Amino acid sequence: MATSGWFLTLTLALVSVLPLCVAFSAESPTDRRILVLVDDLSIRSSHSIFFDSLKSRGFDLDFKLADDKRLALQRYGKYLYDGLILFSPSIKSFGGSLNTAAVLDFVDSGHDLILSADETASDLIRDIAIECGIDFDEDQSSVVIDHISYAVSEKEGDHTLIASDDFIRSDVILGEKKIEAPVLFRGIGHSLNAANSLVLKVLSASPSAYSANPNSELSSPPSLTGTAISLVSVVQARNNARIVISGSLDLFSNRYEKSGNEQFVTELSKWVFHERGHLKAVNVKHNKAGEKAEPAMYRINDDLEYSVEIYEWSGTSWKPYVADDVQVQFYMMSPYVLRTLSHDQKGRYSTSFKVPDVYGVFQFKVEYQKLGYTSLSLSKQIPVRPYKHNEYERFIKAAYPYYGASFSMHHLSVPQIAGQSSIYLLSSDRTNFLWNFDFEKQISEL
Amino acid sequence: MARDLWSLVLIFLFFSACAATTFRPISDGHRSAASELFVPIDGSYGSLEDTYEALRTVQILKIDRNIDINPHTCPVVSEILEDSSSQTKDVYYALGVNSILGCHIDSGIYEAVISRLQSVIKGAKSLYDFYYSIKGLLVIKDQGISVVLEDAGDAFHSIKALSQSGGRWRFSSNDAESSTYAAGLALEALAGVVSLADSDIDQSMIGIVKNDIRKLFDSIESYDDGALYFDEKFDAEHQSPLSTSASVVRGLTAFAAVTSGRLKIPGDEILGLANFFLSIGIPGTTKDFYNQIESLVCLEDNRLAVPLILSLPTAVLSSTSNDQLKVKVTTVLGSDSPPLTVKLVQASRLDSKSSPVLAHQELKFDPESSFHSLDILPTSMDVGKYLFVFEISLHDPEHKHVCATGGQIQAFIYYTGLIKIESAEIAVLDSDVDAVETKQNLDLSKDNVVSLSADHLQKIILSFQLTTPLGHAFKPHQVFLKLRHETKVEHIFVLKNSGKLFEIKLDLLALVEKFYYLSGKYDIELAVGDISMENSFLKSLGHIDLQLPEPSEKASHPPVPLLDPYSQFGPKPEISHIFRAPEKRPPQELSYAFLAAALLPFLGFLIGLMRLGVNLKNFPSAALPATFSILFHAGIAGVLILYLLFWLKLDLFTTLKFLSFLGIFLVFAGHRTLSQHASASAKQKSA
Repeated sequence: MATSGWFLTLTLALVSVLPLCVAFSAESPTDRRILVLVDDLSIRSSHSIFFDSLKSRGFDLDFKLADDKRLALQRYGKYLYDGLILFSPSIKSFGGSLNTAAVLDFVDSGHDLILSADETASDLIRDIAIECGIDFDEDQSSVVIDHISYAVSEKEGDHTLIASDDFIRSDVILGEKKIEAPVLFRGIGHSLNAANSLVLKVLSASPSAYSANPNSELSSPPSLTGTAISLVSVVQARNNARIVISGSLDLFSNRYEKSGNEQFVTELSKWVFHERGHLKAVNVKHNKAGEKAEPAMYRINDDLEYSVEIYEWSGTSWKPYVADDVQVQFYMMSPYVLRTLSHDQKGRYSTSFKVPDVYGVFQFKVEYQKLGYTSLSLSKQIPVRPYKHNEYERFIKAAYPYYGASFSMHHLSVPQIAGQSSIYLLSSDRTNFLWNFDFEKQISEL
Repeated sequence: MARDLWSLVLIFLFFSACAATTFRPISDGHRSAASELFVPIDGSYGSLEDTYEALRTVQILKIDRNIDINPHTCPVVSEILEDSSSQTKDVYYALGVNSILGCHIDSGIYEAVISRLQSVIKGAKSLYDFYYSIKGLLVIKDQGISVVLEDAGDAFHSIKALSQSGGRWRFSSNDAESSTYAAGLALEALAGVVSLADSDIDQSMIGIVKNDIRKLFDSIESYDDGALYFDEKFDAEHQSPLSTSASVVRGLTAFAAVTSGRLKIPGDEILGLANFFLSIGIPGTTKDFYNQIESLVCLEDNRLAVPLILSLPTAVLSSTSNDQLKVKVTTVLGSDSPPLTVKLVQASRLDSKSSPVLAHQELKFDPESSFHSLDILPTSMDVGKYLFVFEISLHDPEHKHVCATGGQIQAFIYYTGLIKIESAEIAVLDSDVDAVETKQNLDLSKDNVVSLSADHLQKIILSFQLTTPLGHAFKPHQVFLKLRHETKVEHIFVLKNSGKLFEIKLDLLALVEKFYYLSGKYDIELAVGDISMENSFLKSLGHIDLQLPEPSEKASHPPVPLLDPYSQFGPKPEISHIFRAPEKRPPQELSYAFLAAALLPFLGFLIGLMRLGVNLKNFPSAALPATFSILFHAGIAGVLILYLLFWLKLDLFTTLKFLSFLGIFLVFAGHRTLSQHASASAKQKSA
């Protein structure tokens, strides 16, 4: 009885989990279920514009306090969420089964993360950021100050609410529409780990900014100054998991009305939750010029055609991807041929080239990496053979003298055995054959 | 001694000043946000609860409703009120919506609703039943229909029976947990009972409830900025601090309004609660918006203490535009305060230990703009960050009991001005004698294009003076000298001051290690900035060519620069395979000429044969030898044709296959022909 009860619970759990697995798939890469961890549930209200824009785009937000005892990202080995928003900068340790390792595992399994810190950022939040290649200013009391490009605020005059419009130049991350108004930022700065090539600065501070404690006098130079300060950064991992890290939680709030914040965070959230810049490649084809079928192998110097179809996810459907920098390599240890593919505006990319005169096992390789887009890595193995013995050219003009000579000698020498014998046989005795005659004569002389 | 005491006081003030935040009353920002947030979709705000909250908020904020929602909402309201089986909660909200919209409801329906709600109260078990039915009756009473609650004393006792220690309430008698949110509901319900009662409620019971309220205030919590709030201990209801505090405030003010005698709640706590609601700013959700506005309207006019909010239109005052210090005192919803005077108790600089710059000044009241203002004399106040302490004193002694002003109110003021930058110069010194080699004056109001050069035995010296508008020394927070090498390696130095003079001496010999022995062009930038400096700047001074020694083997390498995200990606240069060149071949004509030459001997051979008189006279005439001879010669012709085919088309294997058959045939036919030939010639010889 107990066993059947247990079985029933398990089945129920599986049934409830199953639709979640369907939510995030290769065919529809946008995230659906998002866990939002907050320090204080009032963030739901103070950041409602951001959350409402997510909800209106079809996301299912699950708000939880970061120290909730029942927190879990996965159950029975299945992740319950496709994305995680950490709006809990001051949390010392998460509740439930969540910890730094669990968050990183979540990202490592291809899920997305928005992490927002502020001047109260705890070591836990800083550690997660460090694992993503982002180092917040080590001085816990420092904030980003800018005495030149600051926002004039009615309430405060300490120049910690800074205005920045130094965005990354990427339509895929920040949308095609230019962000006209500067973004207002109050929080802590960070620097990027130079060894990490996956992390990108999306919003940088102005050259006059610095990161320091506004209430104490500076005795030594601040560790972060100028445009080296990153305010908002993104990471796209090799498994296409996307991360946004911001040093300001207020950036996402409703508070700054006449700023570019709303557009900035909305566009950024579209990117991080895979509503944009997610590519897929289908119908990889190659064949000999003028043929349709894909051969099992090519011969050196064959002319071949290669084509692939690339589509970009628009949040609701796959749209043809149009770019002029998709390249294919014909690769064996190193690329022998590297071609830029031409496209037909409908997502079909193609090129044609001659197989090199080197035989071996080659690969067609497409290694497409573009700022902000998911990377495409396609490879297809194909052997290349040399000419067969009967595939060389049969008559060489330059060899005609040799042909002629051998024909001529054939009739002068070989017929001595065959042809001449017939002449010998068929001619009358009296006019015996010249060479035989001589031959016999020579013999008789001997 | 007195001086030390002052500094102690100032330090204390500084730390308490962290709590000094002035709050702003409800303003036009709220109204525009509300008119964006409360927008009916298809002529309706959704459920009746949402509709009531939306209508109430819009009503309090006096926003025009552009869209008439009556056609959609009124039918729903009358349906709920006519249906005798509808929930008490729905009935309450329907009545509430009706009171604002004024739908046409028959008086007969009201009678039915009243008797229905009365019977609910009699048999009520849970707090919600009491709350919604009593509130519903109150709404009907407010519309001018006489409602009398019989057995009010019993209802009062039943609600009071749910109260717990610590001033909290239970939702129903079955609940074990007590809730602060429920306390608010209960107080409101009790207030309703008192105002609906036909006879007076036992004053001792009211006294007990008053005592409960005081206990409830023991559990009040506070934020750093001085805002006070109630939080829910009982988690099952998921109430936020805002909804809990809103519930308590509604209950408290309603209860205070109906009972005689004062509730002993300090005015500061009421002000703290008001500050809490104001500190939320503009809420993003309709529920929070309603809770905030409804609570503030309760506080706006209550019998306990009307909180007065002192707010500053700006925290930044500029000395260049001779800004006046302006202060406004209003109620929480932004309406005018009773006549009062605002006093500046004192104003002191945060970063100095000297005595306050201003003390005991009375602010002038301008009835037109309703601002209290003070001219700050530039002679008395220099630029910097100040802590201002205000005090409100009410003119009418009556009001002193009614209003909560919060005693001394602290606010930070940033007093800004233009800083004079003078005698800026940069020089290169020879190290051992400190003799000036090159020296250039700088104009820091614009970018400079100084071009210097130095080697590692020299020193660079940069100096300038900063003075405040009053001629005092000024020490900005940010005084950085930045040297940037061509390879983007940056070095930042903080300039130290002695009085007005800022100077930095860079001894290059000591810095070579820090500079990673990188010789070449360094750009020089100077950044000076402060919160009270209106002309903060970041200027390029030009560049300097440094000749540094070659690095030693142990020298550290400069940091790896960040990858450029734009060049990191993007297309690679195309690669085309270079095919092996075909072998060189002679021209065709040459081949033909040599072909002709090679065929000449064969031609000679044919001519020779002709000359010899080749004939076929010896061909055997007898049938059998002739047949074999023909077959033999046909075989030879076959082999020759096979040769030709081999040359033109066939490969070696096919040729050999055919040749093996032909060869066997040829051997056989040849043997017969030759043997016959031999016998024929032997016959001839013997003949």
